[in-house]
Amino acid sequence: MIENTAKSELWGQLIAVIRIELSKTFFSRRSLWIYLLALLPATLFYVNSIYTRREHERLAKVAVDHPVPKALLRSMRRGLTVEQVVQTLGEPYRRNSREFWMGRPPQRHERLMYYYTDGETDFTFFFSDGILQGNGRSGPTQSLPQLLLVFASVYQLYFIRLAIFFGCAGIFTNLFRGEMLDKSLHFYLLTPVPRFILVAGKYVAGLSATAVIFSASTALQFYAMLRGFDSSTVHEYMQRDGWHHVAAYMGISMLACAAYGSIFLAAGLVAKNPAVIAALLLLWESVNAFIPGSLKLASVVFYLQSLCPIEAPPDVTIPPALLALVAPVERVGTFTGIAVMVTVSLVVLIVSGLMSRKLEINYSAD
Amino acid sequence: MNPEHITFDNVSRFYGEVLGINRVTLSIPPGITSLVGPNGSGKTTLLNLMTGLIRPTEGQVQVLGIEPRDPRKLFRVVGYSTQFDSFPRGATGRQFIYSFLRLFGYPSSKASSLTAEALDVVHLTDAADRKIAGYSKGMRQRVKLAQAIAHDPQVLVLDEPLNGLDPLVRAETLNLFRKFASQGRHVFVSTHILHEVDMISDQFILMSNGYVVAEGQIQDVRSEIREHPMQVTIRCKQPHALAAKVFEMDHVVEVRVHPDGSGVLVLTRAADQFYRRLNHLAMGDFGIESIAPADDTVKSVYEYLIGEESQR
Repeated sequence: MIENTAKSELWGQLIAVIRIELSKTFFSRRSLWIYLLALLPATLFYVNSIYTRREHERLAKVAVDHPVPKALLRSMRRGLTVEQVVQTLGEPYRRNSREFWMGRPPQRHERLMYYYTDGETDFTFFFSDGILQGNGRSGPTQSLPQLLLVFASVYQLYFIRLAIFFGCAGIFTNLFRGEMLDKSLHFYLLTPVPRFILVAGKYVAGLSATAVIFSASTALQFYAMLRGFDSSTVHEYMQRDGWHHVAAYMGISMLACAAYGSIFLAAGLVAKNPAVIAALLLLWESVNAFIPGSLKLASVVFYLQSLCPIEAPPDVTIPPALLALVAPVERVGTFTGIAVMVTVSLVVLIVSGLMSRKLEINYSAD
Repeated sequence: MNPEHITFDNVSRFYGEVLGINRVTLSIPPGITSLVGPNGSGKTTLLNLMTGLIRPTEGQVQVLGIEPRDPRKLFRVVGYSTQFDSFPRGATGRQFIYSFLRLFGYPSSKASSLTAEALDVVHLTDAADRKIAGYSKGMRQRVKLAQAIAHDPQVLVLDEPLNGLDPLVRAETLNLFRKFASQGRHVFVSTHILHEVDMISDQFILMSNGYVVAEGQIQDVRSEIREHPMQVTIRCKQPHALAAKVFEMDHVVEVRVHPDGSGVLVLTRAADQFYRRLNHLAMGDFGIESIAPADDTVKSVYEYLIGEESQR
């Protein structure tokens, strides 16, 4: 009976800590930049979807006035004259011309650009002195598979490594260090709340806040990405892989918050300047691609990337010399990835709970 | 160790190489205990050790038999109003006390009623729903006091609780301390307002440079200070005659007639003997109206033991 009372009291205290901390992390002005960090990719995807939609609409409208079949557009070969092209395709919906002087003695030349569309892609034909030299294609040509690859890259290179990383650093290091700097941590330590409950409560609150912010951002990014496509394309994708992808990415965001959160909470507990630990961790996570295979296993981002449903295309900006260093390592399985992240979070949290027993209030030294 | 006392057993605390307190041994009974000493003497260190905010480098502290490392038990019986003038961001007075009480595990309704009671005791009910950031210094002191007493502790620890309070509130606060102490509880007050210490204290602890210089009841401590003769003020109608008579006593080292001619100030090295002889003199023709010790105050003891120059 007494044991039950003690247990319910601990639960009550845990919930009280979570409530207090949630109001601080969710609704404080200090968290504003984290919301911005989380919303940035969603905003960019949204802007892209607006552009894509408008282009689709514009090209569709042009295609109604100047209908040209795709096969005809693709059949145009270099060396054709302007007249031959116009005879086959009809008048372009837009044309540009430019004169220039070249050679010795300088001679006048004319460059023409004729624009056609099949309703999906813009075709630009380049003529020099009335002879077709080549063509270019542009417009909202991103297909859904292409955009999913873009999403995978943005998610792994920006969202996990920067947005979630810095967002967690901002929220979790402040759980203890922020209150030390505000000189208000002692109020917690003047209550009968055991230190491990304090650590657990703060962690759960921080995790709830970051998990909601970043997984919601992940879902928003997906929504923003998909709204650029017509409903049948979206419906087909969602029925096939879509829901699985959304759930996987949201789950990875939560796992990232859990793992980075526990590390940053511990950093805020032990270090006077947790930014140094955050910088070192960022460095370690950033060079993950260049470190030997076995060392990769000691980084959070490796497991998170392993869990991603779509592998990000290799970074073409990496110089070839460095590419030789990029040691490909087999991705771990879903179960292993989740188990490692959860275990790391729990171990770091338990260590933090033990360290918190030695926590002292000595604001003048902080 | 007495389970009704607050005890320090050979306690030392160092901050790196800097001394906080050194080899402090105390056993403090219930009542109002004042902790006095100059800045940096170790007062706050002593209070923080007592409440587990810091741990001793050596020695052991117990509060009513509870070790400060056990917050679940300690803060059921201890309330601490610290000297830190900082609060959770954006909190109103009511939210501050309420959330503090929720951490004790009180249900919402109980926490609300205890919050209202505590705010009422410190006369902050009207300002309870304003943000603490907008409070005056005195109001912030009062809300800290409300936080310390809200859960009705057996031991009240207060670090400079009278700072910033206006005279009326200060008097009410002192009454509150007396009321607490009269119920057999501990009130442990760190202060530098020495004349108020005299008014309320049952015992005092004088600290300097991390050491306990003196402790106990003020009269006992004063009588132990041999190098400074005790001062006794006697109001009478024949001061000059009384001065001549008193000066015949061996242990009397100095007698001064008051400038207003209404009494004498006697400095004696044996107060007990002096008071015994004074009983005989009182029956004489000196017209003695009152006899009162003039320097068994905390202020005097402080000056004798630590020196005026170190007093704030």
